[in-house]
Order: sequence, then structure tokens, then C-alpha cells
Amino acid sequence: MLRAEGLVKTYRAPDGGPIPVLKGIDLKVAAGELVVILGASGSGKSTLLNLLGLLEDPDAGGVWFGGERVNVLGRSARSRARGRFVGFVFQSFLLLPSLTALENVLLAARYAGRAGPTTRQRALALLDELGVLERRDHYPPQISGGEQQRVAFCRAVLNDPPLLLADEPTGNLDDANARVILESLRARARAGAAVVVVGHRPEAAEGASAVFRLQNGALA
Amino acid sequence: MPRTIVRALHSYAFTIAGIAIGVAGLVALGAMSERIVRFIEGGDHFVLGQISVAGRGMGMGAGFTAGGLLPATTIRAIAEVPGVAAVQPQVMLPLNPSTSQFMTLTQELVLGVDLSVPTPNRHYRTLPVRAGRFLREGDQRVAVAGAAFAASRGLEVGSRITLEGEAYEVVGVLERMLTAPDRFVIVPIADARRQWVAKDPLLRTVLASGAAALRAADLNTGAAVGWREGEDPDALARRIRERVPGVNAQIPSELSSLLRSSTAFFSSLVVGIGALGFAIGGLSVANTIAAAVFERLRDFGIKRALGATDAQLGREVLAEALGVTLSGGVVGVAVALALGVSIDGWAGRSGQQLFLFSPRLLVGALVFSVLLGAAAAVYATLRVVRLSPAEAIRRGA
Ligand SMILES: Nc1ncnc2c1ncn2[C@@H]1O[C@H](COP(=O)(O)OP(=O)(O)O)[C@@H](O)[C@H]1O
Ligand SMILES: [Mg+2]
Repeated sequence: MLRAEGLVKTYRAPDGGPIPVLKGIDLKVAAGELVVILGASGSGKSTLLNLLGLLEDPDAGGVWFGGERVNVLGRSARSRARGRFVGFVFQSFLLLPSLTALENVLLAARYAGRAGPTTRQRALALLDELGVLERRDHYPPQISGGEQQRVAFCRAVLNDPPLLLADEPTGNLDDANARVILESLRARARAGAAVVVVGHRPEAAEGASAVFRLQNGALA
Repeated sequence: MPRTIVRALHSYAFTIAGIAIGVAGLVALGAMSERIVRFIEGGDHFVLGQISVAGRGMGMGAGFTAGGLLPATTIRAIAEVPGVAAVQPQVMLPLNPSTSQFMTLTQELVLGVDLSVPTPNRHYRTLPVRAGRFLREGDQRVAVAGAAFAASRGLEVGSRITLEGEAYEVVGVLERMLTAPDRFVIVPIADARRQWVAKDPLLRTVLASGAAALRAADLNTGAAVGWREGEDPDALARRIRERVPGVNAQIPSELSSLLRSSTAFFSSLVVGIGALGFAIGGLSVANTIAAAVFERLRDFGIKRALGATDAQLGREVLAEALGVTLSGGVVGVAVALALGVSIDGWAGRSGQQLFLFSPRLLVGALVFSVLLGAAAAVYATLRVVRLSPAEAIRRGA
């Protein structure tokens, strides 16, 4: 489902000096697989996930979704590819503060052109499944971090994307909430999605099809 | 639904307020320049509607007919020039002789008109009367007051005013025309002639000495001449100059350009005020919209992560910008109107009107701010989507 080859990313320090973060990453994730990438803080996990999810351009290398090379597409085509293929779960949730929980979930469908009564039913069912249905009309600042991440998870899976990318999804959560989110991600993999989870805590690796370490810009 | 509207208003309150301030500034400055434009155009319209004739030389007349006496024989000679349709003898006297001629256009004048002749001015066949009636042939010691003249003195129909020691009854008040007649008080010509004699010691001396055989009908400061259908007014004015000695016939197009050049200062002031209004208002609108977009950099990054294309984001931003600039624009227009009306309410006590909120100004200001808001929205969106979504989320955090 997801393939990356030779991904290179180098940032520039404020003094102009290079910060090589990724030095040539190869990765393949098949449908139904849960791949966990562990690495110390600052090792480049977020950078890698951003490249895989087309949120940022690599300096070199390629990204394929289901056989199509997507990182070379135009800006809007990349946006559409994200909407069609990828669901994101971020460490800091990234809900829109001006929208209610339900509206945040439905946002994923808006850009894919799928907004409608069935989508709304599905959003409500997902919120119910994650135990936050009664929070549907609350705004993100009014609910706890654990609840926000549950809402964000619903948003990520609303369109049933074949690829889920989770960047330290439990980094800001207590253990109970962390277990719910990790278990939900595993469930998506069992249901056929390709799932990539990056983190620095080994618990994330539980039930993974493959576990990699990101170190010195390379996967091991 | 109302809840969403309340929420939208709440979250956009500052943006709408910012736009309202910009539009209010634009409309207020625009209304001041519209006021001046109307004044200049009104004068131009007037001078192009008649040939103004005065006696040659200096006299104490004022306004367009400043010059020497225009005796009855001369009036008759003008009437006989081919192409002339009508000649209306007039007496124009400055109400306050100490007023400098510099501001002759805004000067308060007594205008005496010969009511036995219909008004020859093609563009002002009748002056619009707001209350009461205009003068009629046979009227004596009655006056029709221009709007500003009446307002500054609190005159209404039935009021009395004293001119050169004689009491006049106000029988009519004109509508506000935003040009010269606003400051006129119009009386039958016989009354104006008496005022002139009372006012001018030199004229009294001449009359008393019998040195010149002057009769009342000779006491005219000028005349308004109308032309026959199809006649070229400039050519007719030249013909009058050639055939009637001792007159100064203004050529309408020359007087119009003279008027335009003497009001050139005001015209550039108008352009300057208008441009200032558009610059201040426009910058304020554009800046407010662009700032509102940049402020939500993170939201845009998130939406793009969720699959929003440039076009989808552009449409969203445009729709919001449209709603926000329109509501801000309407509030701004309302603020400017309230401000203008209350300032004019105060200025109106001395007969002044500073603002003219013409429909073209209000519509123009709204269209301008909406277009500018849209342009700013498009510009800001293009700037935002050039960042990668990851970068937008990082910077907006
Ligand atoms: N936009 C950026 N500009 C410069 N350096 C960056 C930028 N983003 C990340 N980095 C650097 O790249 C390295 C990897 O960052 P990141 O991918 O966020 O690591 P992780 O997610 O593993 O903690 C860090 O040293 C970080 O400082
Ligand atoms: Mg990170």
C-alpha cells in the first residue's frame, strides 16, 4: 500500500548549516500491516511521517501510494491523494478550535466531497465507538486531551483511508487513553488498513507486524 | 442555525469591526468629495444653461452678472439679436458687501428677478421649491429663500426677514441644491432695485443729481439670456457682443472652463480626499482580511492535511471574506451615515452641508471593499498554500 524509497531530508540551521535528518529511508507497508517506528526525540520521526503523508517534500526519494508515485504530483493532486489515501493522528491532536467535535470529524469528509447524512451517521457511530459521543457538540478546548485524541482518531478514519499515519499518538495521553488509541489503531490494521505508528515508548510496538528504529537518519 | 450565526459573528467580530472602520473612513471622505463635486457640477450646469450678460465696466453687482449697469435700452437691444429667445433682467446684490469676491460662489446674494419674463436658463427652468411657492408676477416685499440661507436663519414659510431696512415675508423655501442658489434670497426685481439704491450711496448721488436720465427699469446688474432651439449659445453670445455696445456677454463654454479652472483647487481636493479615502479604507479592508487568513495558518495546514485543495481553500476563504466584508461594509456605511448626519445636523445650523451620501458612493464603496476583500483573500490564500502543510502547522502553532 505504502512504499518509500531513498527518502532524504536535510534542514537548514539558522546559521545556514545543514541538519541532515533523513539520509535515505526505504520502507514498505502492506495493507493490514501495522509498522511501528521507534526513535529518540529529535531522531526525525515526525519528519519521516510528514514525508510519507505528503505534508512535506523530500529532498530526494519517492513515495508511492498503491503503486502510484504521489510525491511528484502537483500541489492540489497531492492534496486529493492525502484526502483519498491518508488518515493522520498527531501528537498534539490538531483539532480546529472553532469547530465542535462532530464538525471536526466531518471536516475530513468535506474535502473528499462525501459530506451527507450517511457520513454524519458514520461520524456519530465512530464517536460512539470511541466513547465521546456525548462530547459531539463540545469545542476542543472544552474537553480533555484524551477525548480530543479520540475525536481526532474518528476524523482520521472517517473516510476509511487505506493508510493511517500516527505521530506519537499517545505522547500527550494518560495510560488509559493511550491504550484506547493504540488498540483502535491495531483494529484498523486488522480491518485492512496499512498503519504506521511512530513513538518513543516501546508499548506502541505491541502487536506490530514490524518494528524499526530510526537512528542517525536511517531505519534499522 | 442561529447558534452558528452567533458564533460566526463572535469569532469574526474583530475582523468585521476592522472592515467597518475602513469602510466608514472611505464613505465619510467620499461623501465630502461628493458634496464638493455636486457643488462644482451644479455651478457648471447653471452657467451652461444661459448666457449671462452684464454692463461693461465695474459696478457693484455680484456673482455672474458683476459689472456696470445694464439699462432698459440695452436689454431691448439684446432681445432683438437674432437667436435670442428671452432676456430676463436681474439684480444681484451681495448681502454682505464686505465679503470678499474670492468666495463669490458661496456668497450670500440677493437675487432680484423680473417675473414678467420666464426664467431663460435651460437647465433651471424653475428652482425646486421645498415649501411654499416660488415668486409670482405682481409679488411685492416677498422673498423665496435658498435652503442654506433659510437654514442659517431658521426661516420657514411665513417668516419675516429684513433686507435693507424693509420687511419681507418668506413665501417659499427652496430645496437644497448643493450649489449656488442654496445661499440666495430671491425677491421681485423692483424690491431688489430699491435695496440697491438704499445700499449704494454713489447710485443715490447719481440719481439725485439727475446727471443721467435713469429710471427704475434701467437699474439692472445683469440679465440672463436664453436662446432659441437649435441655436449655438457660444455663437449667440459673440453675436450679442458684436451687435450690442457696452455689454459684457459671457460665452457659456468659456465661463464654464473659467469656473472649472477657478474650482481646480477644489477639484484636486476632491480627487485627493477620494483617493485618500480609498487608500485608507482599502488598505484597512485588505489588511484585515489578509491578517484574518494568516492568523489561521495552522487551520489551513490541518485542512490541507485532510485533503483540502487550493481551490477548495480558496472558495472557503472567499466565501468568508465576502460575508465579512459585506457585513463590515454595511456596518461601516451605517457608521459613516450616522457620523455624517450628526455632523451635518450641527453644521446645518449655519446653513452648511459637508457630506453628500450619493447612491453611487455607497454602492461604489461596498463593491470596492468586497472586491478588495476578495483580492486580499485570494492573495493571502496563495501565500499560505505555498507553504507545505507541515510548515503551516509548525508556524501556526
Ligand atoms: N522546520 C525545521 N527546520 C529546521 N530543523 C528542523 C525542522 N523540523 C525539524 N527539524 C530538526 O530535525 C530533527 C528531527 O525533527 P523531528 O522529525 O521533529 O524529530 P522527532 O519527531 O523524532 O522528535 C530535529 O533535530 C529538529 O530540530
Ligand atoms: Mg516528533
